[in-house]
Amino acid sequence: MTQTTARTSGPSVLMRLRAIATSFLARRILKALATIFIVVSLTFGLVRLMPGNPIETYTFELMSQYNMSYQEARDQAAALMDVNLDAPLYQQYFEYLGKLLKGDLGNSYRSKGTSVVSYIKQFLPWTVFSVGTSLLISFTLGVTLGMLMAYRRESWLDHILSTIASLASAIPNYLIAIMLIVVFGVQLKWFNVTKMRGSLSPGMTPGFTWEFFADAFYHAALPITVYVLTTVGTWMLSMKSSTVQTLEEDYVTVARARGLSDGRIMTSYVGRNASLPLFTQLAISIGFVVGGSILIEQMFVYQGIGQQLFKAINARDYAVMQGIFLVITISVVVANLIADLLYGVLDPRIRSGKE
Amino acid sequence: MKTLRLLMHNKVGFAGFLGVLFFLFLAFVAPLFIPLDTETRVDQIYQLPSAEHILGTDFQGRDIFSLIVHGGRDVMVVAFLTGLISTTIAVILGSLSALLGGWVDSLIMAVTDVWLAIPQLPLLAVVATMIKLDSVVLTAVVLAALAWPSLTRAIRSQVLSLRQREYVQAAQLLDLGNRHIISSELLPNMMSYIAINLVFAMTGAVYSQVLLVFLGLVTLSNNWGVIINLAWTRGAIFSSMAFMNILAPVLALALFQLSLVSFTRSLEEIFNPRLRTSV
Amino acid sequence: MTINDGLLVMTKTVLEVDNLSVEFPARRGLVKAVRNVSFQLYEGEALALIGESGSGKTTLGLSLVRLLPKTARIREGRILYRKDGEEQDVLLLSREGLRAFRWRECAMVFQGAQNAFNPVLRIEDQFIDTARAHGIRDKDKVRAEARELLRRVHLDPDRVLKSFPHELSGGMRQRVLIALGLLLKPQIVILDEPTTALDILTQRSVIEVLRSVRDEFKFSLIFISHDLSLAAELADRVATVYAGKIVEIGNVFDIFEKPRHPYTQGLTQTVPTVTGELRELISIPGSPPDLIEPPKGCAFNPRCPYASERCRQEQPPLEEVGDGQFAACWNWREITERKPL
Repeated sequence: MTQTTARTSGPSVLMRLRAIATSFLARRILKALATIFIVVSLTFGLVRLMPGNPIETYTFELMSQYNMSYQEARDQAAALMDVNLDAPLYQQYFEYLGKLLKGDLGNSYRSKGTSVVSYIKQFLPWTVFSVGTSLLISFTLGVTLGMLMAYRRESWLDHILSTIASLASAIPNYLIAIMLIVVFGVQLKWFNVTKMRGSLSPGMTPGFTWEFFADAFYHAALPITVYVLTTVGTWMLSMKSSTVQTLEEDYVTVARARGLSDGRIMTSYVGRNASLPLFTQLAISIGFVVGGSILIEQMFVYQGIGQQLFKAINARDYAVMQGIFLVITISVVVANLIADLLYGVLDPRIRSGKE
Repeated sequence: MKTLRLLMHNKVGFAGFLGVLFFLFLAFVAPLFIPLDTETRVDQIYQLPSAEHILGTDFQGRDIFSLIVHGGRDVMVVAFLTGLISTTIAVILGSLSALLGGWVDSLIMAVTDVWLAIPQLPLLAVVATMIKLDSVVLTAVVLAALAWPSLTRAIRSQVLSLRQREYVQAAQLLDLGNRHIISSELLPNMMSYIAINLVFAMTGAVYSQVLLVFLGLVTLSNNWGVIINLAWTRGAIFSSMAFMNILAPVLALALFQLSLVSFTRSLEEIFNPRLRTSV
Repeated sequence: MTINDGLLVMTKTVLEVDNLSVEFPARRGLVKAVRNVSFQLYEGEALALIGESGSGKTTLGLSLVRLLPKTARIREGRILYRKDGEEQDVLLLSREGLRAFRWRECAMVFQGAQNAFNPVLRIEDQFIDTARAHGIRDKDKVRAEARELLRRVHLDPDRVLKSFPHELSGGMRQRVLIALGLLLKPQIVILDEPTTALDILTQRSVIEVLRSVRDEFKFSLIFISHDLSLAAELADRVATVYAGKIVEIGNVFDIFEKPRHPYTQGLTQTVPTVTGELRELISIPGSPPDLIEPPKGCAFNPRCPYASERCRQEQPPLEEVGDGQFAACWNWREITERKPL
């Protein structure tokens, strides 16, 4: 409560607001870019610190697969990769940065001729689709149920939902995935796990057809279920506690005293204020879930960016790893940026430049 | 005695407490009496629970119960060490950041910002290939190194809000020094917050380490993650026989996590007097 | 200090509270926040309810518009609202009837108006919201009305209407809430600690505003406060509340000049405080009574210098002690001069 006087009216307010907004925005964007730069540099080094390099890994793979001699395998691997890993590290680094600025992420070491950009273009949409859908479901469901729990606080409904929510959020997502597969897939045979693998059935061509969407959802169903199950509890509990707090606010009591209808109070007074902090969390979790998809995609053999990252790590495909790391980093940073800005848009108290 | 009564006051929390006790017993006491079954019995693969093998046998015919009993210790030690290390770092950096402000605050926050922007899970995978994570302590250190930033932020904001309280402001006016303020004024008032964060850091550590083991990136000896990993790679997704083999460690882990999380409810009540005396 | 004309002839009753009792369940037992309270509010008058924090005065105020917390229970009593010759019991109103009653008939301006407004809506929208809830859909008309009212409370309508609540100072928000309270021209306005948490200059301006709008709009006012000196400036009649009961009620002159209840007497001797409830009533020794197990007999007896054996055994009824003045004290006859407590 720092403000004791209202701001002066007139055009000066507008200009000042704009000045604050632009500098705020400029500062944020600058910070975001700096973060991306640092993380890109860090991952560049980190990736190369890993034991083994792409050629070596492939060499060993060839040796064990085709029973080649080391020299033979090494030659073949080196020929395939067509990369100079002997150049000084700083030279590789600046080369990478230079290309990056032009939007060129290089080529995959393992699949010759495939650019990392096309790689990402191919696999990222599936991750965005599955994670995005689940986030949407989980957020909507969580906010609705959380509000319901707060309105019916201490009722049996609240107790049951609270228990379910904490149960679901306490168990790691990969364990839920295992249980889902083992119990419902293998034991009860409710669905065919192997058939649901991949992101599309073989022979399905993408397009705006009903079959395509149905098939896409069919294959994403298991990952989505796991994501929703493991995140919805957190949304429910956050929304509940936020709503409980909001219900205690004076303005809600005053709104009742003003004779506003219950519906109006629930949406514009309670719901809107209670969900404010959740929108920030939502934006942030968008960034994180993309990074967290690695394991779930691996388990369900869902062809998204996470699974590719896992493959790339094992093959030490530096270019693909860096590319995917970059995508994840950017999504985290941008999500944070959006969270900051979004909060400003949604909450007028922040909008006027108050910290 | 009083603590015990408070502990029992919250039913969910008390159940969690009992759960934690149970798992501690299972992991630290039970192994003394139940030997680890290392014998391969080809004729006894994937047996269902029986009097002889109360959880059945695994893909090598080993007794699953003995594997579970011996597989918990490392998981818990790593979880506890990780929680301890990361919480200690977080308390120190978080309170320094909040109390000193200025460039110290900006620096620490900038570092956490960058740290959080690095994709954690992949980073973990990468780090795990770099360092041979074959010791419990090393695993804990690596996991703690990843976990501290978000904890630090939480502690910082908590200190910031505590700092507004009168007694802390008085201590600052009296120039009692930051060490005194942290140890005598802030820590006692933050015990519940810290304890709860410690427990959550532990659950986080359980999550990450089992994940690492499951992905085959950490080579600790027999533990729950290893059992899951083996069962999984030996085809638990296809063979309905492997049911107990994979479900036993999964349930053990899930229940342990659940116990920890429920236990925080009791911690909240023990440390936060406002919650227990309403009116 | 000017005091309102106390010689008004008051005949019509707009609100009659009859034997009202409100309880809250607590761990130790029932909190009897309001105990068998009866009083009448006359047309156009200002009635002050004065008492320490925890005396039940706020609960009493909230029960008049049925805004009590969910756990509260109205054990008995009636709250009769009269308008145009018709009478209805507020406690028997349907959900929808109650919604219509609130603000249109009886507006309540709250303690701590700091947070009385939805932080994410502009003041203008909150005026429009209120009007729409009562069936007024003409936004321009509402805006014009709001402007007029804001001017009445000495605010700049152009600026205030377009503002978000946090952009206004505490005193401004309090005045906006008063203006909002008058939007539907209610017959009754309840003010709960309208000046607490405001600095002294702002307090003054809020009181001035209240006095001028009251002169103009002629509504009946119930004024809830711990500060008797404030009541003196605004009220026609004063009721002192102790341990959930009205212990004395009478016109403002009598209450100040010749209080007949030792508690009222103590209040009149209390140094008015500026900053709020923390230091209130320091001059009456002892602590406020336990509302779960009120003292036997007269609840005030442990703190009362006049207390006799009878006071410890029997509860005194409210009896007429002067012209329109009632007190609940066995020894009211002894309380004639100002005697330090």
